[in-house]
Parts: sequence; structure tokens; C-alpha cells
Amino acid sequence: MSTYDDDRLLELLSSALSQADPVPEYVTEAARQSFTWRTIDAELAELVYDSAGQEMVGVRGAEATRQVTFRAPGIEIEVMVMSDGVRRLVGQLVPPQQATVELRCGGSVRDSATDRLGRFTFTDVGTGPAQITVETADGAKVVTDWVLV
Amino acid sequence: MTDPFVCLEYSTMNDAPVAELLAGAADGDQAAWNALVEKYSRLVWYVVRGFRLDDAAAADVTQTVWLKLVEHCGRIRDPERLAGWLAVTTRNEALRVLKQQDKQTPSDFAFEISDPTATDMDERLVDDEIERAALRAFSRLSEDDQRLLRLLCVDPPLDYATISEIIGRPVGSLGPTRQRALERLRKFMTAELGEDPGGLV
Repeated sequence: MSTYDDDRLLELLSSALSQADPVPEYVTEAARQSFTWRTIDAELAELVYDSAGQEMVGVRGAEATRQVTFRAPGIEIEVMVMSDGVRRLVGQLVPPQQATVELRCGGSVRDSATDRLGRFTFTDVGTGPAQITVETADGAKVVTDWVLV
Repeated sequence: MTDPFVCLEYSTMNDAPVAELLAGAADGDQAAWNALVEKYSRLVWYVVRGFRLDDAAAADVTQTVWLKLVEHCGRIRDPERLAGWLAVTTRNEALRVLKQQDKQTPSDFAFEISDPTATDMDERLVDDEIERAALRAFSRLSEDDQRLLRLLCVDPPLDYATISEIIGRPVGSLGPTRQRALERLRKFMTAELGEDPGGLV
């Protein structure tokens, strides 16, 4: 048997790993299905802050609230995911304004609206990738980056 | 995807350049999207497997990454960097989950968290005896070694700049680190295979 140099050893490992730890079909299928969530004609609000981001070194402890901020030109969407008791998602539009709000999470879609101060709440929020769509009074549509909550 | 027409279209799209697939997906073409998934699902999976996540968390991270790409596929400036974008996005999402788990798990119960690096591989799926030995040897490596070797096994391959970003080590150290990790793998394999290392050392 010939000697296994580094490249051949890596090839061998690669072949073994691809057989022993294949991508589960349900994972690939979910990836294909992701495309059905595509939003058209919406401005993307990018994630600009996440208290669970690894670059934000926080105090380790029983902190049950996660803060996330998304930003698109002219609007910010501030969101808190609270896990004390009932899991809920509380948001604030900046600048404050009235808008309809849609939450996509765990395969379901829920509609809500902000109050006059731009605040909104969703209760009993599941876990999984989540996305918020905001449609402002002047008809502008903003969609956030997906975030795993 | 049982429609034969869709399948046909899909198979011819797999060889299309990444830029074309991204443009197609941005335009709403599901076949182009499926081809992207086909091409890169292993890459995302390998990166996510390099972190200590259980199956459910790994699946959630993976889906989040693909959903992010749905929103970003029309915005990626350099299509040749898609592999790097996917790998780094996966790393970031995996680290977020780990950080959340850290917060939510009382330290007293930390020992109950299983070590997925030891359980997520099914050796029985591998026919070749030497490959099985490679897997057993791999599972004896440190988490850092395993993560690096997985990243080096990714197909299509990741460039060193991306790997260095994911594991947080300078590019210049990757060559020597790779060499040492493979040296340890070789040593464990030799032990697994007994007296006759089959030219492994």
C-alpha cells in the first residue's frame, strides 16, 4: 500500500466523512423550501446589532432578553426577544410610526400592527428562523434579515 | 420535485456558473435556487458540524443561513465569494446559538450536554476499513482539530482566508496547523489499524 501523504489522508477523511455524516434529506429539503419565503419589492433591513452576536462580549448569566436591531434607509426596527415565562417578541420602530407588522417564524405567518408610538408585540413566539416585515403608512415595505430566535 | 421537466432543468443548471445561479435565484427561478442548494449544502453542513450543536440546532442554523441567502442572493457583489459568505454566515449563526445556550443552561447541568462531535457520525455507513479507522481516529481528535479538518474537507473547497476567519487564526498559521492535525490523525489511525499501519506513517 502506498504511503498516505497529507493530501491523500485528507481525501480519505473527506470520503469517510461524506459517507458517515451525510446532509440529512430533511435539511436539504428545508433549504430548497426556503426559497418560497422570498420577498419581492421590499427594502432589506440588515442586522446591525445582536446581543447574541459573538463580537458583543456580554456578562454570562441568566440573561433572558435578547436585543436585535435591524436597519434600512430611513427606518430602524428594534426587537427584544423575551424568554421569561411566555416567550414574546416586543418591537419598536424608529422613528416611531404606525405600520402593519408581519412575523414569519417556525413556518407560520402572523399579522399585527404597531400602536401610535410604533410599538408592537407578538406572544407565544416559537423557536426557529424569524423574519419581520413592516409596511409603513406610506406603503413602503421593509423586510428584516432572518434571525434565529 | 417530482415534475420531470423541473428535474431536467435542475440537472442542467448544476453546471451553470455561480453568478448565473445567483442571478437566476434573485429573479425568482426555483431551479437555479435548487442548484445552489445542491452545490453548497455540504459546505454549510460541514461548517455547522464543526460546532457543538445537536441535530435540531444544526438544522435551524442551516435553514437560517439558506433563508439569509434568499434575501441576499441579489446583493452578493462577488459571486466567487459565495462559498466564503456561506461559511462565515454559518459560523456566525452557530456561535450565536452557542452563546444563547450558554446563557440558558445553568452551569450545573452543563455536563449533561452531549458531545455531538462524538455521536453525529455513523461508521456503519462506511464500507472501507481504512476509512472507518480514519473516522474513529478523527473522533479522538480535539474539537479544534476536527473543525479545521472538516473545513479542509469542504467541497467546493474554502480558501485559507475564509478558513482563517472561521477558526480565528492567522492565515499564515494554517499550513503548519493543518500539518500537525493530520499528523495526529495519522498517529491515531495507526493505533486503530494495529501493528500494520499500511504505510500510514
